[in-house]
Amino acid sequence: MRRLLWLLVLAAFYAACIALVQPDLPRLWAGLPRLLRWLAGAFPPDFSGLPDLLRRAAETVAIATLGTSLAALLALPLTLLAARPVAPLPALYHPARGLLDALRGIDGFVFALIFVAAVGLGPFAGMLGIALHSAGSIAKLWSEALETADFAPVEAALSAGGSRAQAAAVVLLPETLPQTASALLYVWEFNIRASTVLGLVGAGGLGQELKNAVDLLDFARVLAILIIIVALVLAADRLSVLLRRRLA
Amino acid sequence: MLETRRGLVLRGLGLSLGGRMVLRDISLDVAPGEVVSLEGPSGAGKTSLLRAAAGLLPHAGQVLADGGRPALVFQQHALAGRLTARGNVLVGALGRLGFWRPALGVWPAAEVAAAESCLARVGLAGLGGRRAAHLSGGQRQRVAIARALLQRAPVLLADEPVASLDPANAEAILTLLRGLAREGGLAILVSLHQPELARRFADRRLRIAEGHLWET
Repeated sequence: MRRLLWLLVLAAFYAACIALVQPDLPRLWAGLPRLLRWLAGAFPPDFSGLPDLLRRAAETVAIATLGTSLAALLALPLTLLAARPVAPLPALYHPARGLLDALRGIDGFVFALIFVAAVGLGPFAGMLGIALHSAGSIAKLWSEALETADFAPVEAALSAGGSRAQAAAVVLLPETLPQTASALLYVWEFNIRASTVLGLVGAGGLGQELKNAVDLLDFARVLAILIIIVALVLAADRLSVLLRRRLA
Repeated sequence: MLETRRGLVLRGLGLSLGGRMVLRDISLDVAPGEVVSLEGPSGAGKTSLLRAAAGLLPHAGQVLADGGRPALVFQQHALAGRLTARGNVLVGALGRLGFWRPALGVWPAAEVAAAESCLARVGLAGLGGRRAAHLSGGQRQRVAIARALLQRAPVLLADEPVASLDPANAEAILTLLRGLAREGGLAILVSLHQPELARRFADRRLRIAEGHLWET
């Protein structure tokens, strides 16, 4: 009976989703020849002006790297406020948690859109967008690492007369370094992927070239950019895995 | 007012955990240079008594200790595994240092030298640079004692310091603690599970059960 009820709830949920999305197979069928035509036109990929594409790729990596670094700086105080064992002010625990959930809840793309309006077009707006969203993600991962760490050495530091801040800096942070560094690398790797589309809202990186090529229906160029994006993401993924393995 | 060099004085210590009275009106004295053992079954309140005396648990009654805050050697070492032995010992100096130097790992040279000297006192000279995670159980316990020594507290509390050690290491650690009391004048209150070790190493033996304490 209970299982039936769950199935009914699930079915109702799917029915609502279908009503909202209105999947239309005949429309897909009608559009398929156009897609195939574009795909055929994409070969061979157009790598002309490769230095420009590579500069955009480097810009993408730079947005992700600086954005993640700034996010880590912003996340540090948030983490200390939002991790129970070290939170100096318990009254700020829930507000800090709320703030980091809010930052995580708004995508970097949306933040970038707002920053483009505030500081103008270009990678700087992208970096700020990435930083604000990632600060929430990093603070959440870091505070969880601190909360699940062995508290006994911290207690030993406190019993020796150390302050909570000292115990956190001298004992807890070095003890959780493998987890916190790994989380940071994971967010960086994620941000490389996220930064490839920031250009769609004018926030720099490869996405900018992608948008230009799509607007001109230049699919050979689109394919070349997609190949570079995939290579970039795979390289970042490999590097991140390699570094995380060394940290373990 | 506590006179100087009275060691450890507990008066009317009471503690309730989760609505259960763990310690009831406990009073005891440990003189400088004296080793007093605390025995009792698991759950009798040995750890609670030591943690309350170390200021880690809020309690009723008075704890008066030479130097203010007693040093505590934890049951399972409580070492930071990724830190070196020296780094763990230096944690004992935090109470007299500010935030930034320890946080940046720039410890005062005098404290580093003192940490090395504490390691030498517990028989670990030359092992300061080794990560705590790579030390044996007996060596970790020695590092925990060295950390307590660097605190420079005249009163040392040790919670089952030999519970996880083999007989040879247990004997070595207790010999070390007795030496610290005899030569360093420390007042030592140590909880022990093994009555025969208490008989051999303690000057006085106390027993705790159901929150009450008495001399054996």
